[in-house]
Amino acid sequence: MAHLGVLATLAFRNLRRQLRRTILTASAMIIGGGTLMFSLSLGDGTHEEWIDSGVRMGSGHVTIEHPRFRSGRKLEDRLPAAARDAAEAVLRSPVVAEQVTIASAKLTVTGMASSAAGARPAQIMAVDPVTEAAFGTIDDQTVEGRYLEPDDRLAAYVGVTLAEALGLRLDSRLVLTAQDAQKEIAGQLVRVVGIYRSGVPEIDQSLIHMPLTTAGEWLGSGEDVTNIGILVADSAAVSGLVRTLRTELREPIAEGDAAVIGWREAMPELAAAVAIDDFGNYLVYGILFVIIGFGIVNTVLMSVMHRHREFGVLQALGLTPGQTGAVVLFEGLSLTAVSAVVGIALGAFLTWYFFGDGLDFSGMMDEEMTFSGVVIDPVIIPLFRPSRFAQSITFILFVGTVASIYPAIRAARIDVTESMKFDR
Amino acid sequence: MTDPTSPAVRTEHVWKTFHQEAEEIHAVHDVTIEIARGEFTALAGPSGSGKTTLLNVIGGLTRPSKGRVWVAGRDLTEMSNPELARLRLEQVGFVFQAYNLLPVLTAMENAEFPMLLQGIDADERAARVGELFKRIGLDGMEGRRPGKLSGGQQQRVAVVRSVASKPALVLADEPTANLDSAASDALLDVMRELNEDLGVTFVFATHDTRVMERCRRLVRMVDGAIESDKVRS
Ligand SMILES: Nc1ncnc2c1ncn2[C@@H]1O[C@H](COP(=O)(O)OP(=O)(O)OP(=O)(O)O)[C@@H](O)[C@H]1O
Ligand SMILES: [Mg+2]
Repeated sequence: MAHLGVLATLAFRNLRRQLRRTILTASAMIIGGGTLMFSLSLGDGTHEEWIDSGVRMGSGHVTIEHPRFRSGRKLEDRLPAAARDAAEAVLRSPVVAEQVTIASAKLTVTGMASSAAGARPAQIMAVDPVTEAAFGTIDDQTVEGRYLEPDDRLAAYVGVTLAEALGLRLDSRLVLTAQDAQKEIAGQLVRVVGIYRSGVPEIDQSLIHMPLTTAGEWLGSGEDVTNIGILVADSAAVSGLVRTLRTELREPIAEGDAAVIGWREAMPELAAAVAIDDFGNYLVYGILFVIIGFGIVNTVLMSVMHRHREFGVLQALGLTPGQTGAVVLFEGLSLTAVSAVVGIALGAFLTWYFFGDGLDFSGMMDEEMTFSGVVIDPVIIPLFRPSRFAQSITFILFVGTVASIYPAIRAARIDVTESMKFDR
Repeated sequence: MTDPTSPAVRTEHVWKTFHQEAEEIHAVHDVTIEIARGEFTALAGPSGSGKTTLLNVIGGLTRPSKGRVWVAGRDLTEMSNPELARLRLEQVGFVFQAYNLLPVLTAMENAEFPMLLQGIDADERAARVGELFKRIGLDGMEGRRPGKLSGGQQQRVAVVRSVASKPALVLADEPTANLDSAASDALLDVMRELNEDLGVTFVFATHDTRVMERCRRLVRMVDGAIESDKVRS
């Protein structure tokens, strides 16, 4: 295997000899790698933003709930105390607690909201005001009054559309009706403490927040909840957390009392949107690197053509056709490897340096952008995932290898006696 | 396995036929020849008589159309391409007309290249090349790239490279064709000396009378066939 060292030396020296060509090819790769990193980090940042907005409006990065709750949203399909206790124990454990931003336990029921002006169907979400304020975004979207507070008892936080429909203002009274734990219809009088506007019509016309303690008394469900929504710092940690929680909740899960659901499963349309957007980006990277790949093929092939005689000498000296090809492959690969690392590092650094605080796209959007029920922040903060670095390097190396294969085959296949001829 | 008692080269009814358009050219025409170890032989003959082609067949660079070839007792006709490469590495040294050297390697690195491929350790390589460089008048040139050497010096590096790996034979195709007469004489003296002192087997293909004069055996080729084969006393 002393061969490898020699072949590598030959490859490096040849790259140095063809300095202009090497620098040209390397620049293309570096720019490509840099662009890739810039665009990947922004793409991931965008998606993280979508996911974050989506899960805050929805059931969290991870939700623990009764398996039937999702389809029926019935009070009887609530989380048993055992499952809730087990889940909360896991969430308190140091390893998990580190990843978890906030967990909010809530009780959601479908019911009616009525006032003197009429009645409307409503999604009633009973929450702990403090944890829910940290979990959701709706508490920041108050247009009148305030969000729920810990001491609130008969309080309701309602959407603007619903408020208009029922003629509600601050301090107005309304009656909520829903099926209670005994499957009886029960009513509860509450007062409007705040009105919000989320920008999402379905939410503004039906979602009502109220204190969990009040709801427990009203519905006879005590401290029970229908789900625990969990937010993590990075959505990449979701699948790991789902696995941990499933292990810890083995018993309630086996008994059919609980399910641990990641956001992809809980919000398939959001997952699909991310996947489609990723796919579109991959397509662009693919095209970019096909172009770069052809550049590499061209430069490496040129250098092979100019060095026919050299490859002839190498084979006369006893290099096999395969080893001759390996010299060329080595050249292409070392060039791409170095350029890939430099390009990716540079791309990531420059993106972080110039846009680390976020890139504001609001100039490009005339209105608030909503996206499958989610309002999108126009400021995108680039996200650098270690896995992306590894993927990008692998990808560029792959392109470099593929692009060097044809020139390598040409070098391997040269006709030695032909290449050694003089009078040509 | 190579047999040290076997001749350096033996061919038996070797033909090499090229097809050009409808025409068949017999570049090598039924050649049967044996070259013993330690010989200093020249293949002479007019241009196009098949000297280079025969050398290439013997060196395993090209396959004969018919007939068989043994180098150091090993039958080349049965070998795969990698086996032929291995045989060239172990048993055959080449010196071509010019541009023999790899331009990115120094004189020393060029000279030791086959030994590197053979897996010979650095001390041994340095010792062999050092001794040959001294003997051949290349002392002090070890670190130079081919571009910084004269044509004659480059050819001498090529000779060191062909000899240092201790092959069964060295094939030299017009090694002096690009050199002036003084450099040619110097190069030939060096090769003759290596032949006499170390027993290196040389086979030349040449037009150069200086080469022929120095050879003990002169094989004349015409139209791909051996016309005469004389050993001088
Ligand atoms: N690849 C090839 N295709 C077709 N014909 C070839 C090929 N190589 C050699 N020939 C022909 O074979 C014959 C012998 O050529 P070769 O090069 O062996 O002659 P040579 O004796 O070395 O000549 P020179 O003294 O000019 O070097 C010539 O007629 C040549 O044209
Ligand atoms: Mg010739």
